[in-house]
Amino acid sequence: MKMPMETSKRVAGSYKDPSGFVFLANNVICRQVNQRYAATYEHLMSSGLYTALTAAHRLVPHSELNENLTNTPNWYKTLLPDPIHFITYAYEWSGAQLRDAGILTLRIMRTAMEHGMILKDATPYNVQFQNGRPVFIDTLSFEMYDESKPWIAYRQFCETFLFPLLLERYTKVSSHHWLRMHPDGISAADTANLLPFKSKLNAGVWLHVFLQRSVAQKNDSDKSKAKPFSRQKLLNLLQHLENILLKSGKSATGTTWGNYYEETIIGQAYLQAKEKIFRQMLQSTEALTALDLGANNGHFSRILAEGNRQVIAADFDEACIHHLYSYTRKEKIKNILPLIQDIVHPSSSIGFNNTERPAFHQRIRTELVAALALIHHLAIGKNIPLPDIAAYLHGIAPQLIIEFPEKNDEKVQLLLSNREDIFPDYSEAGFEAAFEPYFDTITKVRIPDTSRILYFMNRKN
Amino acid sequence: MIIQSIFLYLDPGSGSYLIQAIIAAVLGALFYFKNIWWRIKSFFFKPTKKDSTGNEDAHGDI
Repeated sequence: MKMPMETSKRVAGSYKDPSGFVFLANNVICRQVNQRYAATYEHLMSSGLYTALTAAHRLVPHSELNENLTNTPNWYKTLLPDPIHFITYAYEWSGAQLRDAGILTLRIMRTAMEHGMILKDATPYNVQFQNGRPVFIDTLSFEMYDESKPWIAYRQFCETFLFPLLLERYTKVSSHHWLRMHPDGISAADTANLLPFKSKLNAGVWLHVFLQRSVAQKNDSDKSKAKPFSRQKLLNLLQHLENILLKSGKSATGTTWGNYYEETIIGQAYLQAKEKIFRQMLQSTEALTALDLGANNGHFSRILAEGNRQVIAADFDEACIHHLYSYTRKEKIKNILPLIQDIVHPSSSIGFNNTERPAFHQRIRTELVAALALIHHLAIGKNIPLPDIAAYLHGIAPQLIIEFPEKNDEKVQLLLSNREDIFPDYSEAGFEAAFEPYFDTITKVRIPDTSRILYFMNRKN
Repeated sequence: MIIQSIFLYLDPGSGSYLIQAIIAAVLGALFYFKNIWWRIKSFFFKPTKKDSTGNEDAHGDI
């Protein structure tokens, strides 16, 4: 592949590691290996580690390109990794997803040790979800293993994987909230302050959190006095961390919507009728990618995923995403990516200069968006005007399937039950007037015996 | 707060050597006794097919 150099651009978040960096060339993600990492990289490739990890689908595979696309003097090699469909961050994952990414990291570390290497960092940002499973993406994270040293990334692993999961287990506040507050991880001191007293009775918590906090408060800088570490000690440590993780991320942290379809009075008949219309509408789209906004338990994400469409199932409710992720893992569904995303407070651009981790809407590229049983929550629950919602959806995808529940709908009445009705425009006509400047309605079908209408729309340019 | 600020000057790995040495020592002793217990137990009872966590591994493909 030949690419002009002037189009090469370093990805903003890839600045930490002097071993190399990620850049875009003609919209293709590439990774440069710098001269200083040459010997380590060659060991990764020749020791059998790369082959072992890619064969087990644990590390993203790449091809090599002997062309200096960035025109930098310390260039050694250009790697073309298999593209990741959609980049996500740990503050958008359920606890179960964070747990699996952590287990993957520990298992990669063990395999690396068998080949004379270790991981020099251990953060969830090195892991992405692809084909329904976690995969490690940072090919330059491997370093040569010195058996006399403990794990350099231990503290980072604790702060970004272990502590958010322990906090989730003991406080019932989901791990993604802790990582949103602390994107680079939460310290042992903060974790210890937040954990309840009973957590001290757990040996793992006591060792990794409370003891670590105490030891960190003593001067630990004189490493020369420390006894040499050993391979067995490190293996014990890794096994212990994995054992704790295996007990984490098991249950969702309370749900508002988990039983939405089961509980609703109109229930099964409504669901079946809606499903039928939805499937008919899908027949008139050739979209290969879809975003299910307000995915709930993922019932319609699963329909979207039929026929190999790549689906992102987003919901603000951690419990929904937890259950959907567990379901996709159990059923080995490869093309649904469950994601915690609150439309009213979507992931914003964070990190240095606000460019390191782009906002959700900067990352999303999809051909079709489904917004089922959602608009009344935005319009009435959150007071967002209908034209604003239309403009927002217009910015996401060229095609839209949207459900409009009228004001006399049971759920809309529930939203209005404890408040003044300040929504004179919330009606079938008001909805259509708001969307008309942005979309052409292709199909409009009322769900029989309900006050709900499904629309299939194409974006106006 | 002074302790916190000292750590701002250390890389992510620093400051975790001592704790790892202590945890490794504790785990070494723990696994040693666990192993003895396991041998005693398996002398009297037929061992079941479980991993070291005592759970069936539902994460085998990770």
